[in-house]
Amino acid sequence: MATPVLLPRQGQSVESCIITRFYVKPGDQVSIDAPLFAYETDKASFEETAKEEGTILTWFFEEGDEVPVLTNVGVIGKAGESYEEFRPEITDDGGEKESPSQPGDAKQDHAEPESEQPTREPVREGSTKIFISPRARNLAAKAGTDIHQIKGSGPGGRIIEADVRKSMEQQPVMLNPSDGKPLTASKETGSSNQAAYAYPDPSNVVYDNDSKIVPLTNIRKRIANAMHVSLQNSAQITHHLSADARRILELRRQVKAAQREGYEHNITLNDMVCSAVIRVLKNHPAANAHFLGESTRVFNKVHLGFAVDTERGLMVPTVKNADDLSIGGLSHQLKALAEASRTGNVNPDLLSAAEASFTVSNLGNYGVEMFTPVINLPQVAILGVNTILPRPKDLGNGTYGFVPHMGLSLTYDHRALDGGEATRFLKDIATEIENLELNI
Amino acid sequence: MPKAQFIDPEKKRKRGELKFSPIPVNSYAKTIEEERENFSDDDLKRIYHDMAIIREFETMLNMVKTTGKYNGIAYNHPGPAHLSIGQEAAAVGMAYLLDKDDFIFGSHRSHGEILAKGLSAIHKLETKELEQVMEHFFGGAIYGIIKKSFKGSIPRLAVKFLLYGTLAEIFARETGFNKGLGGSMHAFFTPFGVYPNNAIVGGSGDIAVGAALFKKVNRKRGMVVANIGDASMACGPVWEGISFATMDQFHQLWEGDQKGGLPLIINIMNNQYGMGGQTCGETMGYEIAARIGAGVNRDQMHAERVDGYNPLAVIDAYRRKKKVLEEKRGPVLLDVLTYRYSGHSPSDASSYRSKEEVEAWEKQDSIHVFGEELVSAKVATTEELKEMKQEIRDTMLEIFKLAIDDEISPRMDLASEPNAIEQLMLSNGSVEKFDDREVEVKHPMKDNPRVIQITKKERYAYDKNNKPFSGMKQFQLRDGIFEAVIDRFYKDPTLIAYGEENRDWGGAFAVYRGLTEALPYHRLFNASISEGAIAGTAIGYAMCGGRVIPEIMYCDFLGRSGDEVFNQLPKWQAMSGNMIKMPVVLRVSVGSKYGAQHSQDWTSLVAHIPGLKVCFPATPYDAKGLMNSALQGTDPVVYFESQRIYDVGERFVKEGVPEGYYEIPFGEPDIKKQGEDITILTVGATLYRVMEATEILSEKYNMSAEVIDARSLVPFNYEPVIESVKKTGKMLITGDASSRGSFLNDFASNITALAFDHLDAPPVVVGSRNWITPAYELENEFFPQPSWIIDAIHEKIVPLKGHKPVGNFTDAEQIRRGKLGV
Repeated sequence: MATPVLLPRQGQSVESCIITRFYVKPGDQVSIDAPLFAYETDKASFEETAKEEGTILTWFFEEGDEVPVLTNVGVIGKAGESYEEFRPEITDDGGEKESPSQPGDAKQDHAEPESEQPTREPVREGSTKIFISPRARNLAAKAGTDIHQIKGSGPGGRIIEADVRKSMEQQPVMLNPSDGKPLTASKETGSSNQAAYAYPDPSNVVYDNDSKIVPLTNIRKRIANAMHVSLQNSAQITHHLSADARRILELRRQVKAAQREGYEHNITLNDMVCSAVIRVLKNHPAANAHFLGESTRVFNKVHLGFAVDTERGLMVPTVKNADDLSIGGLSHQLKALAEASRTGNVNPDLLSAAEASFTVSNLGNYGVEMFTPVINLPQVAILGVNTILPRPKDLGNGTYGFVPHMGLSLTYDHRALDGGEATRFLKDIATEIENLELNI
Repeated sequence: MPKAQFIDPEKKRKRGELKFSPIPVNSYAKTIEEERENFSDDDLKRIYHDMAIIREFETMLNMVKTTGKYNGIAYNHPGPAHLSIGQEAAAVGMAYLLDKDDFIFGSHRSHGEILAKGLSAIHKLETKELEQVMEHFFGGAIYGIIKKSFKGSIPRLAVKFLLYGTLAEIFARETGFNKGLGGSMHAFFTPFGVYPNNAIVGGSGDIAVGAALFKKVNRKRGMVVANIGDASMACGPVWEGISFATMDQFHQLWEGDQKGGLPLIINIMNNQYGMGGQTCGETMGYEIAARIGAGVNRDQMHAERVDGYNPLAVIDAYRRKKKVLEEKRGPVLLDVLTYRYSGHSPSDASSYRSKEEVEAWEKQDSIHVFGEELVSAKVATTEELKEMKQEIRDTMLEIFKLAIDDEISPRMDLASEPNAIEQLMLSNGSVEKFDDREVEVKHPMKDNPRVIQITKKERYAYDKNNKPFSGMKQFQLRDGIFEAVIDRFYKDPTLIAYGEENRDWGGAFAVYRGLTEALPYHRLFNASISEGAIAGTAIGYAMCGGRVIPEIMYCDFLGRSGDEVFNQLPKWQAMSGNMIKMPVVLRVSVGSKYGAQHSQDWTSLVAHIPGLKVCFPATPYDAKGLMNSALQGTDPVVYFESQRIYDVGERFVKEGVPEGYYEIPFGEPDIKKQGEDITILTVGATLYRVMEATEILSEKYNMSAEVIDARSLVPFNYEPVIESVKKTGKMLITGDASSRGSFLNDFASNITALAFDHLDAPPVVVGSRNWITPAYELENEFFPQPSWIIDAIHEKIVPLKGHKPVGNFTDAEQIRRGKLGV
């Protein structure tokens, strides 16, 4: 019996996804768990696998199509079986079928990024229908405000401009440093629109084959926008210092020894640093916070974001309530989330910058000696962790020796924190690392 | 209501008897022999020729309509062709004595009259003038076609010019007399004195009166003939036109050389049918239409019935009546008896009359009988007449071929010239005066009592301390209108104004107070209380080249001038290919306090009709500036006023209303108050209630409203409104018209379309209720009030903190009212 292949819903806020690639074509045989197609939201990519064995009878969409979640993407069954009854109605309305990546588009001068449409959240029939005025919707789109998080105060609960503005006030105000005016992703500024720049026509003889236009993926666009907005709209400054690493290297040896005795967790240096950061944050609430322009949101709990390098780009998942976890639990969660991010199976809700209260970005593994991490707005600060290098140290009595030191780079938003406070915070992290106690 | 005329009860109540003079019926009794002294042989042959040419012209159209071909050449003409086969003698007789300075107006059945009058004018025009007319008309486009296709003397070419221009017009060709925009029922050619024919039965009944008024007031030579059907004598506009034309004041009150009647002949082309209705015996009671003259004035309109089957009888009547007109004893009513063999239209199977009846009239066919008489009187031989007819047929075939040739006679190409009709809808001219002669006024403007009085008024409503001057001290809206009007009276000698109580009383709302002192009767007078005639005569007056301000007092009376304002005033500029200009400023006043038939804002009705400009000023500054623009322009303007605000001072322009001349361009809305949070677009007097609402909004709800006064409805520039909406995101539109079908909704839909992405809520319309207007004491429940505006904002745009609505602006209520149709 033919079975439809459904586009799963990934996270509460996701209304539709873009099919990025089909791994199999109609007529192909698939077995259970065989990868069928890849799809992405504006936050993450996913892979759908076969739940049934059989022949792919049809795909109802093409690569690049935006498809509402819980819609039939295709049908698996026995060759020759009918599948028309599964055809989603949405394919009839023309709008869905017209994808910018249709053949022929390549000839156009300006390769429009295929994600022009999704800048407006599709509002569809169904349980999550949103009533919002066009003005409010446009404002939210420009400001990057998630309309799903806004409660409407207009007639009949309609989200109106005032509601979006109120919601924006709870986020950092984005100011253009050149004129001090609120920044919007206008045509002239902002990386999100750079694809609209008129590059030379690829068919031009001089430039022929010299370059090609590669549209940004949703994730790339999101990162680009977040980084750009962050640097344009906050006062970032970075302090560097280093911590004596002898203690945590000793702890690391102890973990390895314990593992040989049967200890289940492979507590890494990164886990230890994170643990130290979590403890110190409890004493520095000003750093465990969001900067909201007119106010700050100070968290009681620590929600630790950590940067993960993936094939698709940088992702920053969040360990919620990290201060409740034992070192073993923390280690496990960090690894599980990193893995999920790399495979694209992470819950998109955990990727939002607003989810974390503080972020750690560890480049120590890569040998980086010093860097200036970029704050994940609206967070107030981010800690960069560098490689361990031997540094000369006064061992007492005028004796100097080389001692391994771990470099720490704290970028903080000077609007929220002053140098003294930031330095004390960073120093406390170093001290904690130098004196870390772990219950192994 | 002149004081000079004493209404003496002693005289009025005296016993007596009204006596009528006998009305001649078919009194003409001369033979051709007796007429030889009045007509040369050539004249008589020309009469025959003109009748024959009309007959062939209409036979051609009849063949095309009924068989799809003429002389074997196929052509499909889907448009109308109301033929007058059988009526040729009436047409030629009417036109015979008339030259280009005599104007004829006609009906839907006027091909014959166009040709007869055109042929008569051609005959009388000097060759040189004739050639000039043809060379100048549409840059010689038609004449070029004729010269290329035919050879011959200029008068002979002119006949072909006339036939071709008329036929091409009937076939909707761009080379027709009216660029194909008039068609069969409207074709005309003013250089030969052929004025618009009218597809509305009786439509010419008041327009022609206005043309005669133009001749009289501006001392132009010639008479005006209104060719209207026997059935149109039942139409209101015809009666109104006749009543207007026979007003006593022309003889009793108008001064100097202006004393005397209008040079007008109401010429009833009595073919005895109105479509299928028989006017004698079925649909009318006059039996003989000439009877009507007896009921109108002392002169009985010099009415008589004339045998329209004998061209010489009609000419004889015209010769006598022309004299009456020249003696200023007009107007005249002629009942020209005739008969059409053709049906009302080619689709008419003539089921309402017997074959015998048609045949009986055909036996007495005017062309046939007249031809026989010419032969027997030895004016012409049978051969000669036969040759004449053959020549006419040959010419007609050539004309027909030219007119249906898509290369030579193309239709307007709207694909390559999409604006071709658009640019004819309004003429948008700027003309200070329509004649260079001295203006007729009674004293210098500075000596006018009203002008003197106004010099003492405050042209801005508030003093230095921002306290308002007393109402009497303020320069009021009515003063703004007055200043523009009197200024134009001293500039344009053709300008006249009339309406109910325009003289002595100074208009029911005192706008014209002071004008009586400044102007002679023929420039400012009281019209009969008939809004159809007031508007209709103004159309005729303007069409002939004069500027005019008709006033119909209450807006509600627009219904009484419905045909004139909807079907005539807006149409003739475009239907003439913009040859005709229509400088008419129709003053309309929206009432209040006087209930259901005296309080309606009908701006929407006129704004709906293409071809009119519509404005509704609400401040003295705007009233004067827009009236100046209207009076400088060449387009028909419906100028709305409101009785609520005739006495408002200037509250917005701090420099005060300028004493000198200035114009406010049509179509430019005006920001009356700057604001940030909501845009309120208002029409007319509602402005002042909006201003009250903005104070409440600001004080109680911390909401700053931008107020835009539409000022004009047509044309209208949306750009300033869109700009404002981009800023505020919110839009409320209000005015005093009942909200269903109101132009306010047009504003709302256009703004929604143009600014959708900027809107925070749909534009909300706050109009009056869809009721009768109740008594003054209940009006606040009917017309938009400040509280309504606030309620509507609260309910539909943005909930206002702490506001408790008093009115019901919920969606449910809107649906309920819709369901009930209230």
